[in-house]
Amino acid sequence: MRRALGLFAFLSFIIFLLAAAISLRPFGEPPHAEMDTYFIEHAQEEASANNVVTSVVFDYRGFDTLGEATVLFTAVSGVLMALRHYGGKEK
Amino acid sequence: MNFENFFWILQILIAIALIGSSIAAIRFKNLIAAVIAMAVFSLALSVEFYVLQAPDVAIAEAGVGAGLTTAMYLLAIKNTTDEEVIE
Amino acid sequence: MTTTIIRTTTKILAPLILVFGSYIILHGHLTPGGGFQGGAVFASGLALLIVANNKEKVKELFDKVPLSQLESLGALGFLGIGALGLMGYTFLKNVIANSDFLFGAPTPKGINPGYLNTGGTLSYLNIFVGTKVLAGLTSIVLIFFLILRRERDEW
Repeated sequence: MRRALGLFAFLSFIIFLLAAAISLRPFGEPPHAEMDTYFIEHAQEEASANNVVTSVVFDYRGFDTLGEATVLFTAVSGVLMALRHYGGKEK
Repeated sequence: MNFENFFWILQILIAIALIGSSIAAIRFKNLIAAVIAMAVFSLALSVEFYVLQAPDVAIAEAGVGAGLTTAMYLLAIKNTTDEEVIE
Repeated sequence: MTTTIIRTTTKILAPLILVFGSYIILHGHLTPGGGFQGGAVFASGLALLIVANNKEKVKELFDKVPLSQLESLGALGFLGIGALGLMGYTFLKNVIANSDFLFGAPTPKGINPGYLNTGGTLSYLNIFVGTKVLAGLTSIVLIFFLILRRERDEW
């Protein structure tokens, strides 16, 4: 009984995923491309870098990078605080 | 062989590698072999990112997924024991 | 883990990985990659060095490396470069670009081969984030290695 129930759930999930995959847009064609086009055309003069990805990460979305850096800092501090008791006096 | 066919063949090969390595990572009884299978999974995923023209994500995935987490998992496994320790 | 094969391979491979990580960090505003990716590659090179040596050598090697201080320096440098933009503009404004300071050469427009001395604050932010990421990830691997209880090499 439980196996049949599990199989039913698995199959319905597969059908749900396949239906979602069929209704996807064609690959590489977002519904709104205005912002991408703006970044690609203006990133070099506004952020003065050849790499558009870096201009987005560090200039247009700089606060997100600051949050990511904070997350990493918090994770490293937590690990070191929890484990420095076992590791002797190192770092 | 033109580029379109090569792209799709590469996609199918990467998909097979991803599914095979993830199943191997689950099924292996040896923990170190499972960790190596996870590293192979990360490597195939980074190749997929590179094929889809996202080299930034590919470098991050290869460095963190295949390099650092493997080392951390190996060290964590070496820190623990297989059998129960009676204190 | 400290067999001769692994030690010899590491001796050849680790400098190449470290140079590649530095390249990714320094050329973050020109080629794919950036601070986080380059820091991760650099840290994986250092992790290779850590894993392939024995405990005494690693302790001796990393005793003088101020990893925690580097991590804090990266975070503070990011905030400082961001606060530099408050001189008349907004936070994280690219004030160093086109100012003839270091990394402040005039930016070429259109298709160009890419010059290292451009980028303004983006290059500084790449370097600081790279420092932070490599120090953080390396210190995690190092503390995992240093709390190893079993001294024997049995795998």
